[in-house]
Amino acid sequence: MANLNIDSVKARTFDAIVVGSGISGGWAAKELTEKGLKTLVLERGRDVKHNRDYPTTNKMPYEFEHRGQVPLEIREKEPVVSRCYAFREDAMHFFTRDSEHPYVQEKPFDWIRGYQVGGKSLLWARQTQRWSDFDFDGPARDGFAVDWPIRYKDLAPWYSHVEKFAGISGNSDGLAELPDGEFLPPYPLNSVENYFRQQLKTHYGNRHVISARCAHLSKPNQIHFDQGRGQCQNRTLCQRGCPFGGYFSSNSSTLPWAERTGNLTLRPFSVVESVIYDEKAGKATGVRVVDTNTKEVIEYYARIIFVNASALHTNHILLNSTSARFPNGLGNDSGVLGKYVGFHNYRARISAEYDGLLQYATAGRNPSDGGYIPRFRNLHKQETDFLRGYAAGFGARRYQVEDRSGFGEDLKQQLLNPTWSNWNVGSHMMGETIPKEGNFVGLDKDQKDAWGVPLLRINIGYDDNDEKMIKDYLEQMTEMFTKAGFTNIRATDSKQAPGLDIHEMGGVRMGHDPKTSLLNKYNQLHACQNVFVTDGACMTSTSTQNPSLTYMALTARAVDHAVSEMKKGNL
Amino acid sequence: MDRRSAVKGLLIFAGSVAVLPSCVLEEGKASIPLDHLDVSAGEEELLAEVVETLIPATDTPGAKAMGLHLFTLKMLDDCYSREDQQTFMTGMTAFAELAKEQTGKRFTKCSPEQRQQVVASVNTRQAPEEVLTFYNILKGETIKGYLNSELVMTTLRVYELVPGRYEAYYPVTAEAQIS
Repeated sequence: MANLNIDSVKARTFDAIVVGSGISGGWAAKELTEKGLKTLVLERGRDVKHNRDYPTTNKMPYEFEHRGQVPLEIREKEPVVSRCYAFREDAMHFFTRDSEHPYVQEKPFDWIRGYQVGGKSLLWARQTQRWSDFDFDGPARDGFAVDWPIRYKDLAPWYSHVEKFAGISGNSDGLAELPDGEFLPPYPLNSVENYFRQQLKTHYGNRHVISARCAHLSKPNQIHFDQGRGQCQNRTLCQRGCPFGGYFSSNSSTLPWAERTGNLTLRPFSVVESVIYDEKAGKATGVRVVDTNTKEVIEYYARIIFVNASALHTNHILLNSTSARFPNGLGNDSGVLGKYVGFHNYRARISAEYDGLLQYATAGRNPSDGGYIPRFRNLHKQETDFLRGYAAGFGARRYQVEDRSGFGEDLKQQLLNPTWSNWNVGSHMMGETIPKEGNFVGLDKDQKDAWGVPLLRINIGYDDNDEKMIKDYLEQMTEMFTKAGFTNIRATDSKQAPGLDIHEMGGVRMGHDPKTSLLNKYNQLHACQNVFVTDGACMTSTSTQNPSLTYMALTARAVDHAVSEMKKGNL
Repeated sequence: MDRRSAVKGLLIFAGSVAVLPSCVLEEGKASIPLDHLDVSAGEEELLAEVVETLIPATDTPGAKAMGLHLFTLKMLDDCYSREDQQTFMTGMTAFAELAKEQTGKRFTKCSPEQRQQVVASVNTRQAPEEVLTFYNILKGETIKGYLNSELVMTTLRVYELVPGRYEAYYPVTAEAQIS
């Protein structure tokens, strides 16, 4: 028996454990296994193998029973996830159902989740813009949250490292607020997007429209072929999983790469209940897992643990990891664990029409989604009555439209012979929110999930700063559209709840001071240094850029530090 | 295979509605299983003739042969609220009565010209509100089913997928106005 136990413990012991297989967990797995560490990746959901498990990827629209629409019964039963733009008949199976995985909303919060190997990296919008020091300096300059313990120069080489591997298409635009990276050829702006770019240059000078940078292989390099990926085919059916590996996901890229090292063990159906803390050793020794099929509780052990369970679940796990040393959650000496959560304010949009440049349309599809307007508000100095600012998407399209007014042979003729619409232009805001103590998550005292883990309580809302920013975005965009000669301008505030932006961040923030933050500059828990957090939970502030690229870079940097510390015997 | 039988082969998929052996279904009921709607065989026939009037067979198949009335029923059954479903059913009855008033015959017994006259009046909104609601749902789903059918997407307005492209400055000439 004794030997059996020893063998069993040995079989459950690894050099490193990664909790979560999404965009940052996948990167942790790749970097750790490449550096020779036997790595266990735990995923709460099912396995999704590249290609094998993309059941809808090659389906034509007419092969979907409801032509893409989600049946009413599902929409009524799953109101939260049904509000997500990508929750459609073709990709429903990659989204977590509200009814099966409840959480407590103290305020409305649309928590969009993807419980499967690859997580939301299968479903993301693939926008990849670097941060700059205008972002990292933000909290210190404007007096909110705490100072970031890193600056752009710390992360720049790691941005390059992950960009080369993931494959990012983009243009070198020479903008200090949005540093250039290691780019594959950009997807070009179309005629009206370029026209608007020129208009902004003429009227403002400091407002820019660039080709949105995105994780698509516009022209793959050898490193991408080596991953088994090929050129993006512009299908823009990404949310189904891409058979070409045309966009970056854990499933198409980092996980198979990690697997090929021979150092990866992937265990799906594994909910991590908590991180195990050893009082005597003064460090974490492993994690406690509930097998979602058997409900068996199993412990796994490792020298270092990366918690990449998604921003709010990483909070969830740490809050639930209590011990005599850490009665309020692992590493939570400061009491700020779960607090200062931020997100991106996506409430406002604007659309209009343009009747110029009608000698052009576009053909095919643009996977980058068009143009991107980097933050221009309060960039160099405070100039408005709200803090920070917003980035914005900008796109122009002409549609093939059919006159549907008639019937009979006329209607049939019209349907088969569409004409081009006017140019339709549109923009949506991506506003920075200010992380506050009052925006927090916690554990429910009574209700537990099917695996005995307390439900997460979410208490996150907008504030006055957000409302002012929405007003400013709509005013400024209306002015810019007007100056460009766009007509029929329609500005809207969707009033959507936080969460639907799918950019929730923070709760386990980085900082210099253990009294006011959880993580140090290498993403180690100040008070338990062999535990690393490099997903959205680590973010001290949110800035305006889509955050995934920054999580990837932070992860690769943290792994590099972890392994060098292990070699020195410090971990 | 000649073009006609090739097209016929496609049709089974075009409507994408499972065809079950008739013994499974109740006598006198619609030919497809429906969870919420109670549609008779006669009503199904009526819908078939209305959608055929909307998108008739020409040198290419029409809505009836493509099963777009069944597609509409499937969408109505699965994707619409109970309220919409009831309005549709009431509106369908009212439409049938309207047709009889105007022509003295059941819609399915009307000549194609008579059917066109009835549909023309509804299409120009000369009908009670409930008829218009019914008609708008039916027309909308029929068009959706048509444009998203295998026939249209593979032969009439080809859906381009792979190899893909993006042409940011695609010239639009007079000829290109028609794709």
